[in-house]
Amino acid sequence: MSGLDTFLQVIWTFLRLSLFSLGGGNTLLQEYHHLAVNHFHWITDSQFADLYALAEAAPGPSSMIVGLLGLGAGWPHGPLWGLGTGVAAEIAVLLPSTLVMVMAALSWSQLKDAPIRVAFERGLGPITLGILFSVGVTVLRTADHHLPAYLVSLLVCALMLFTRISPLYFMVVAGLLGAVGIIQR
Amino acid sequence: MTPAPLGPSPSRRQLFFGMLQVALSAFGGGLSAWSQRIVVEQRRWMTNESFLTGLTVARLFPGPNQINMAVYIGAYFRGLPGAMAAIAGMLLLPFSLLMLVGFVYFQFHALPAVDRVLTGVVAAAAGMALSMGFKILDEYWKDPLALLLAALTFIGLQFLHLQLIPVVLVGGPIAMALYWPRPAKPKP
Repeated sequence: MSGLDTFLQVIWTFLRLSLFSLGGGNTLLQEYHHLAVNHFHWITDSQFADLYALAEAAPGPSSMIVGLLGLGAGWPHGPLWGLGTGVAAEIAVLLPSTLVMVMAALSWSQLKDAPIRVAFERGLGPITLGILFSVGVTVLRTADHHLPAYLVSLLVCALMLFTRISPLYFMVVAGLLGAVGIIQR
Repeated sequence: MTPAPLGPSPSRRQLFFGMLQVALSAFGGGLSAWSQRIVVEQRRWMTNESFLTGLTVARLFPGPNQINMAVYIGAYFRGLPGAMAAIAGMLLLPFSLLMLVGFVYFQFHALPAVDRVLTGVVAAAAGMALSMGFKILDEYWKDPLALLLAALTFIGLQFLHLQLIPVVLVGGPIAMALYWPRPAKPKP
């Protein structure tokens, strides 16, 4: 495949998924993994886990992982293809949801008591809940392959739920555990 | 104490720089808290009530919550161009930085030392991903129908390996129909 083919494939992939990013965008992670690793072979399994970690660690919305996936898809064709594909991927994934959100911002207050608004607000929540659990399990299975890694993940999960410590500290400590070889791939 | 009066509606340029300020302030995290502080308290563009409505809408509709919030603020004042200005302001610096990090990653990730550190960081990030579902589980804990729908969605995606788009296209309307508000009592 040429760089241009990959570029167009990436744009179409993310345009198509944009409106299915319920619950803040993280619901799409499992789909990203399936498409980028298993379906299109843009990147490997462990690269996906790495990019996810980088997007979480970097400042700004973690949904910017899409830019990194585009970068990875274009990278084999050269750094410039990587950069262009990364930027295009991010624009593609944001464009449809942004257009819908603009319409929502301009009209939502008029729908105040409409049944469809109530059904939308309450009905999509449980679906989002199921997707988020599935995403969590998929990322866990992609990232961890040994007991120490699973223990660290479970501990971080518990600390995220029961403390207000910034997740950056968890990443630093876990990075050190990896550096000294306690967590292995 | 009466709340300070709202300032004039921001221009596109002000929306861009306001969101840039939010993104810069939030480099250590807490993006929504910072946008509230800057948009409501410092610049007094909107009331806290309008801001909270925006936050709800941003969470309900598809798209990343924080970016949707920027879209909401931009569109509220200046329509689509305002939304574009707000997104650009919010993403310019973090996205450029992330692309730079990605460049370094693809150039050097084959180095054993980099790979070992990342292996650890990845385990922590996986724990964060796992916590997302648990974080909103509370809201649905006493609603058996919601738990059933969530369980079916989970089983479909994780064990039956269904794709997300058909799951949302089929499950979404069914869930909305089940939660469609019914009149309290039928009229005679």
